[in-house]
Amino acid sequence: MSADNTKKGFSRRKFLQRGAIVLGGTVVASYLGCSPMRRFTAQKAESMDLPAMMSSLQPNFWFEVLPDNTIALKSPKIEIGQGVFTGLAMLAAEELDVPYEQIKVEHSVTTSGLYDEMNTGGSNSTSSLYEPVREVAATMREMLKAAAAKKWGVKASEIKTENGTLISGNNKMTYAEIAKENKNWDIPKTPELRPKSAFKVVGKAVKRTDLKAKVMGTAKYTLDSELPEMLYAVLLQSPYLDGTIKTLDTKEAEKSAGVVKVVREGELVAVVAKTFYAADSAFKKIQVEWNTPNKVQQADLIKLVTVGNGKEVNVQKEGNAKSIIEDNKASVFRQEYRTPMAAHAQMEVNAAIAHVEADKAVIIAGTQGPKIVIDTVSKALDISKDKVEVHTPYVGGGFGRKAVKGLYVEAALISKAVGKPIKLYNSRQQEFQNSLYRPNTHHVLQAKIAQNGEIEAIMHDQSTPDMLKNLMGTDLPNKILGADFISAGHGASFMYNFKNKSVSVWNAEVPIPIGIWRGVGMFPNTFAIESFMNELAHQTKKDPIAFRIGLLQNDDKISVRGRKVLEALIEKSGWTTPKTEGIGRGIAIGNDRKSIAAAAIELAIVEGKIVIKKVTQVLDCGVSINPEGIKQQIEGATMMGIGAALYEEVTVKDGQIEQAYFSQYPMVTLADVPEIQCFILEGDDVPYGVGEPPLAPIAPAIAGAILDLTGKAVRSLPIRLS
Amino acid sequence: MKIDFTINGKPISVDIDPAMPLLWVVRDELKLTATKFGCGMAMCGACTLHIDGEATRSCSVPVESIAGKNITTLEGLSESTEKLHPIQQAWIEEQVPQCGYCQSGFMMAAAKLLKENPNPSEADIANSITNICRCGTQPRIIKAIKRAAEISNQKI
Repeated sequence: MSADNTKKGFSRRKFLQRGAIVLGGTVVASYLGCSPMRRFTAQKAESMDLPAMMSSLQPNFWFEVLPDNTIALKSPKIEIGQGVFTGLAMLAAEELDVPYEQIKVEHSVTTSGLYDEMNTGGSNSTSSLYEPVREVAATMREMLKAAAAKKWGVKASEIKTENGTLISGNNKMTYAEIAKENKNWDIPKTPELRPKSAFKVVGKAVKRTDLKAKVMGTAKYTLDSELPEMLYAVLLQSPYLDGTIKTLDTKEAEKSAGVVKVVREGELVAVVAKTFYAADSAFKKIQVEWNTPNKVQQADLIKLVTVGNGKEVNVQKEGNAKSIIEDNKASVFRQEYRTPMAAHAQMEVNAAIAHVEADKAVIIAGTQGPKIVIDTVSKALDISKDKVEVHTPYVGGGFGRKAVKGLYVEAALISKAVGKPIKLYNSRQQEFQNSLYRPNTHHVLQAKIAQNGEIEAIMHDQSTPDMLKNLMGTDLPNKILGADFISAGHGASFMYNFKNKSVSVWNAEVPIPIGIWRGVGMFPNTFAIESFMNELAHQTKKDPIAFRIGLLQNDDKISVRGRKVLEALIEKSGWTTPKTEGIGRGIAIGNDRKSIAAAAIELAIVEGKIVIKKVTQVLDCGVSINPEGIKQQIEGATMMGIGAALYEEVTVKDGQIEQAYFSQYPMVTLADVPEIQCFILEGDDVPYGVGEPPLAPIAPAIAGAILDLTGKAVRSLPIRLS
Repeated sequence: MKIDFTINGKPISVDIDPAMPLLWVVRDELKLTATKFGCGMAMCGACTLHIDGEATRSCSVPVESIAGKNITTLEGLSESTEKLHPIQQAWIEEQVPQCGYCQSGFMMAAAKLLKENPNPSEADIANSITNICRCGTQPRIIKAIKRAAEISNQKI
């Protein structure tokens, strides 16, 4: 935070390669210390976020003062709906002394060296850049001041900056004016950052900068983008999980109107035509039979994902929970929970535009990971990484699906085969059936309840397939660590101060392509642990919130913050007020990404259907940057959580994903909207993740409310009242 | 086949496969990309536009069926970029979009609803608009439609 901190490990040579500020059309190597990123990496390591820890973080964003005195900020993070552009503009505004709306944030293009090797995900887009963006912004402000000081013959310290203008006595110039005039720039030491107490816009609920374009229909997504002479491609993809081509007849497709070529290179088969409609019409004339050797069934998956199978890795151990529970087997309270596979079902299907020339590729792709696009496309084309240029338009939702395995590699290969730019996107059926899925999980929870009702010992065993392998493309971390810390590591451990607790993860192998899904392991883990907590409170006749507060009495940060969140929830949700007849109340809390989210839910059962009436969410995400954006995320996570709890399920039959259309994968609609109240606490002095944590408590709070209303526990998702 | 129709107030003539869904004509031929592809099966509503004032899922409408008709897309909903349609005003006031991809379809469906029912209840809104949004903007969509109703009613 202090200037001294950021100077440590400063390497001018490295920093010259890293970031840049453009002033007056000249690229000025900016200060961009690697320390903030190191610090960030260390923080991520603490929270077990492996992809962050293992990536070679190179922050590559830049500022440019434009002639109209607006400031361009090239974002290394992808705007995927989470509002990161607005958050970064607000942070920069604090040090630049311009209104945040005057900072035009856009995605960087990778060949300018501006992408984030870390990808966008893990709820850290804004929080990870909390200091780096301000540090570069402050540096640029000081550079502008130094230039003006030289011109006016005054001390830089005598110059004020406000509203994009430098002022000293009667001297006045805009940033753009001095940037245009000055030629030699000195890079100062990193200035001291302004304290939080001096923030003018951070912490205020402001309007997002990207919404006007989205409301006017001018925001461009990959599907809306074009390259000159672009053709359209439709890719043949197996509707079976392990399908390979047995027989293929493309004769009719080749003769179809508008077709330029039917590409066939091994398993890569695509129709390329002048319009999407022509390509799609021809595609429907392809005759294909598939080899489907394994024909996986749902029952196989359930069996594979079961505690006790595969390798056990202990991830939390305090006291001797295991022996206490083993010694008291007969009296131990034991329950099992299951969560199903799920689809991302983001509204914009995976899409890519590729133009491959001799030794160069331009890719336009809606992705959470430009770095992965570069790596995989350069490998597939056998060209160097610096020859792959990735442009990212707005992304129409991802929720983890656009982290890896988009269609960019296939698009590049097809473009190479036809020698023209091509646009490729999935049909909705392909998007559902050729995807990556949130894996199913199995949990065994056991507790030894003492005579006095106290929990003497508690255990959580989780079985889950490995997301890390899919993400990293290597089994190495798993071999080193023995467990998948993405799916299992998030939320598997108990946040409560139990004296004797033990958590183990059982690493399952499944024949399903699995991927990260909003909240990763936190979603299933919080469902299992918090449902069990609700059952324990029910068993011991305790109020579920008081029960939890009683187990958060230590002085560590999580306990203190957790307690405050729950106390706020009691007050804000009206927890102690009398219940209306026919209403059930439930609660749950989760901590992840260092944020703590708790929800209280009121519901009724009307004609056999669960009707969520009211959701109160309290989120402690540390410093809040744009409370309005945070509320959007809490509401969004609440709706997605309701869908995941009540409706969503992916199943497999005869080696095929059974859900191919929206009609087969019901999600929430306007009819599902309850009253939602969001409250934000600032329990720490740095910002933490927002996008995922509030999803965690929804499903177990719904289950808790059903338990409250009916006396019956829910132990699997989606919830079906029998 | 030559097909004449009006789009956002402008008469237009396209020479095209009559079976091509209107969505692709609008997006790929006329380059009006606010109308989105979501599922191609009229299930999600991302491609909703107006045909003679009726909110319609354009992915499942062959272009030949719109000969002589008036099409309005999101690009044609407001008078200008300064003078927004009440739905668009309310969408900004309530800060509805997140990723934004489905919003065009929602706004077109909502604009039609308000025309028919100037004061829709939450139940009216939920019953008449069945579009899908994955970011979970539904609570704000409901608020924004009610706000748009207020804005429209004030103007009269």
